[in-house]
Amino acid sequence: MKSPLIRRIPRELKSEPGKQLAVFLFFVLIISAVSGFIVSADSLKEAYDETFEKYNIEHGNFELMQKADEQTFSDIEEEGDITLYENFYKQEETKGFDSKLRIFGQRDDVDRVCLLSGEMPYEENEIAIDRLYAKNHDLERGSEIEIEGAVLKVTGIVALSDYSCLYENPTDLMFDNDKFGVGVMSAKGFDSLREDKIHYCYSWMYNDGRPKDDTAANERAEELIKDISKHAAMTGFIPEYSNQAIHFSGNDMDGDRTSIMAFLYITVGILAFIFAITTDITITAEAGVIGTLRASGYTRGELVRHYLVLPMLTLITAAVIGNVLGYTFFEKYMAMAYLNSYSLTDYQVRFSPDAFIMTTAVPLVIMFIINLVTLTRKMKLSPLRFLRHDLSRRGKKKAFRLNTKIPIMTRFRLRVIFQNMPNYITIVIGTLLANAILLFGSVFNPMLENYQDSVSDNMLAEYIYVTKVPVETSVSGAEKGAMLSLETVGNKHDEDISVYGVADKSRYIRIDHSKDGVFLSSAYRDKYGIDEGDTIKLKDKYSDKNYTFNVNGFYDYPASLAVFMDIDSFREEFELDSDYGNIYFSNKELDDIDDSLIASKITRDDLTKTSRQLMRSLGSIVSIYKYFGVIMFVLVIYLLAKIIIEKNTQSISMTKILGYLPKEVNSLYVTPTTLVTIAAIIFTIPFSNWLIGFIMKVIFMSYPGYFKYEVSPVTLIGSGVIGVVSYILVSLLLGRKVKKIPLAEALKNAE
Amino acid sequence: MFLELNGITKHFGEGESRVEVLKGIDLEIQKGEICVLLGPSGSGKSTLLNIIGGIDNADTGYIAINGEKTKDMNEKALTKYRRKHLGYIFQQYNLIPNLNIKENVEVGAYLSDSPLDVDDLLKTLGLYEHRHKLPNQLSGGQQQRTAIGRAIVKNPDILLCDEPTGALDYNTSKEILKLIEEVNKKYGNTVIMVTHNDAIKNMADRVIKLRDGMIRKNYTNEEKIAAADLDW
Repeated sequence: MKSPLIRRIPRELKSEPGKQLAVFLFFVLIISAVSGFIVSADSLKEAYDETFEKYNIEHGNFELMQKADEQTFSDIEEEGDITLYENFYKQEETKGFDSKLRIFGQRDDVDRVCLLSGEMPYEENEIAIDRLYAKNHDLERGSEIEIEGAVLKVTGIVALSDYSCLYENPTDLMFDNDKFGVGVMSAKGFDSLREDKIHYCYSWMYNDGRPKDDTAANERAEELIKDISKHAAMTGFIPEYSNQAIHFSGNDMDGDRTSIMAFLYITVGILAFIFAITTDITITAEAGVIGTLRASGYTRGELVRHYLVLPMLTLITAAVIGNVLGYTFFEKYMAMAYLNSYSLTDYQVRFSPDAFIMTTAVPLVIMFIINLVTLTRKMKLSPLRFLRHDLSRRGKKKAFRLNTKIPIMTRFRLRVIFQNMPNYITIVIGTLLANAILLFGSVFNPMLENYQDSVSDNMLAEYIYVTKVPVETSVSGAEKGAMLSLETVGNKHDEDISVYGVADKSRYIRIDHSKDGVFLSSAYRDKYGIDEGDTIKLKDKYSDKNYTFNVNGFYDYPASLAVFMDIDSFREEFELDSDYGNIYFSNKELDDIDDSLIASKITRDDLTKTSRQLMRSLGSIVSIYKYFGVIMFVLVIYLLAKIIIEKNTQSISMTKILGYLPKEVNSLYVTPTTLVTIAAIIFTIPFSNWLIGFIMKVIFMSYPGYFKYEVSPVTLIGSGVIGVVSYILVSLLLGRKVKKIPLAEALKNAE
Repeated sequence: MFLELNGITKHFGEGESRVEVLKGIDLEIQKGEICVLLGPSGSGKSTLLNIIGGIDNADTGYIAINGEKTKDMNEKALTKYRRKHLGYIFQQYNLIPNLNIKENVEVGAYLSDSPLDVDDLLKTLGLYEHRHKLPNQLSGGQQQRTAIGRAIVKNPDILLCDEPTGALDYNTSKEILKLIEEVNKKYGNTVIMVTHNDAIKNMADRVIKLRDGMIRKNYTNEEKIAAADLDW
């Protein structure tokens, strides 16, 4: 026969529908959001992983100054043990909107194209373009794009398998799907475009298959670069494993999970603790009944199981509904975070064992353990102790003394705080977490805006031209310099560092070159915590050569990680000619240099690309955190403060009977929560600020460049104000609850 | 007339489960009297006490203290009425568990503009040495004395006692009754005490016997005896 106690469960649910519903909905919300996130990430990642074989993604590509003749082509293939594919592109600037469009010819063998909608181009003036690029410029099937000498008609929306992330150059700090896009045309269409914009890009596939890991790929690439160099002049070389356009999206999908899971588990832990306290109070209130049941022969296990049912049932139901919503509604929403950033191929929603384990199994275990420990400890007491309502495990508590000069009302409030210390500690932890979430949602966009302002205010020059060959200009104010790219050594992520050779008494970069050593950009200093006098070690990307520099000082340049040295030292260090120079700093455009001689032009847009992209991909999603923080804040504080009131129902009723006015009763039982919560809001803001700063630093460590975590006092105060306003809502609910406690009823319940 | 009850009726439940608890109570109590309400379980004595105390409302009729009718009062006025005129003592003491003994009494003192001296009162009640203890560290008798202290510290006009000895043994019960009697003599409060212990009627100035929601007897006790001499 089933335990008749089970019939109490629906009645208990009905007895506090508001609380049960609020907790249930919160569980549903977080489980569905996390489940949706994991399912979308896993489904997209699986589809992404499959693209390598499905679309035959290259093992690398290189670019030559000139088109390789047949002999060169076959020599490279033979010596490198590779198969080469022409993957030429022409890059044009669009008219009507500010962007660069990289157009490829038909791709049948390597880096094949995924058609998402419409048709592939056939006629000369037809083009299929990347989905994100189309979205960002309101282009659709039938739209027209004007470039120099042609008007192209969009026939389809595609994803290029080797451009899941729209990096224009492998060395770019960040991708930019607003100002850079890719597209494909038919062979005849491609040929019809002007020839001077062509890039002789060759993709390769190793004949013995894809290298098994990055180390093997690196070794093969190092060999290959030597083989190619023997036969042709290269202007670019990028093996697949280090190609951000191919790998950034995949790495990002792997990286987001930890913080989301930590958030889920902390939240479930807090809610499980709230359940445990609630159950503890229920047991105290039902001590007589429990004592009677135990005395009648009910075992501890039966009672423990009975009190476990409700929290477990709530979570299981929430997990089921949460997962259903996760796989349906939230999956689409969460996938948008990735689809707004990356040009991924089409994908199918797939069952994710990880989502089930992380959103259902682990939270259930957390909930089960916390409640089981609480219940088992409580139920260990003898039936007689229950019958006597003597449930204290530590014997009779002693009151500690408070100075009697403190007014009685203040002492009363202090006693309420001390009596409910576990609840208040949880309120502080909950406030900290909610504040952190709130702050994260509040600071993300302003931080990126600040970064953009800071970058704009501290540019080296309006334009930095990187030339392919030494070239002269007559534009006044242009200053010759040198630059090359090295990599950091010994970090988890090797990061590109731009090393600049700067003219003595430069008008653009004012640095004292009189002492030996180099200057680092402020971004480099802040990201890696480098002090003056330290030594930095960098390596050449394409050789095993290492360079060591003494840090002489810092230059206020937040836009990128850079090293500055005087140009003579630069030439000497890198064994270059005494007149070597490959860049120009200028505040005016250099219109007397042929475009074909310019490798890249770094402008304000380029430097703020990362922040703009982050804002575009994550800005709206991150803003949602604000609302989530508020919900969490309200829920945690309300549930815990409600428990405090429920625990003191008898005393509240008594104070009312004694003649305390409603505002006085509130001041005794709600004001302590107000004081603790307001103090928690104020004192946890700096800690939340530190925590978010730390999290941001960890997140952005894997991003190129450095975002200084800066929060204006206004944002911090605003976050506090949101907390206080949320609490006012809670305090109104609490006041209502206190008001509803009846006088006579509470007395009747006295045992 | 100090306390007047006129036509008080009260019911609980509806339909088939409707129970008429009080069926028209008329009563007059003089200032300073000890009035004992006697009756078996379900006679309506506690309900009547709660209505006098403003904790519960009557269906019909009114209560007046010095001519001030509680029926016309809103919730706030009723709270002020309890604050100004009443002290309450319960069978289960209803002390605030997280406050120490002195603080429990101070909670009562806070409500009065001219409370009694808390320390003096604690000494009178024999609780001074226990003043820093929590209620659960004291015996039942000591807790009830604390409850009495909390009720009388504001020197109320009426002391309402709902089975004040119901949870106590014989000796402790007599101690508590003696204390109530002393308080009545010393401060002149009107005491209304609900009990089902028939012997307690002997210490009363007025005895009211209730049964089935109606007053069956209401008489002045001509042979009042001291609480110390009660026996049962």
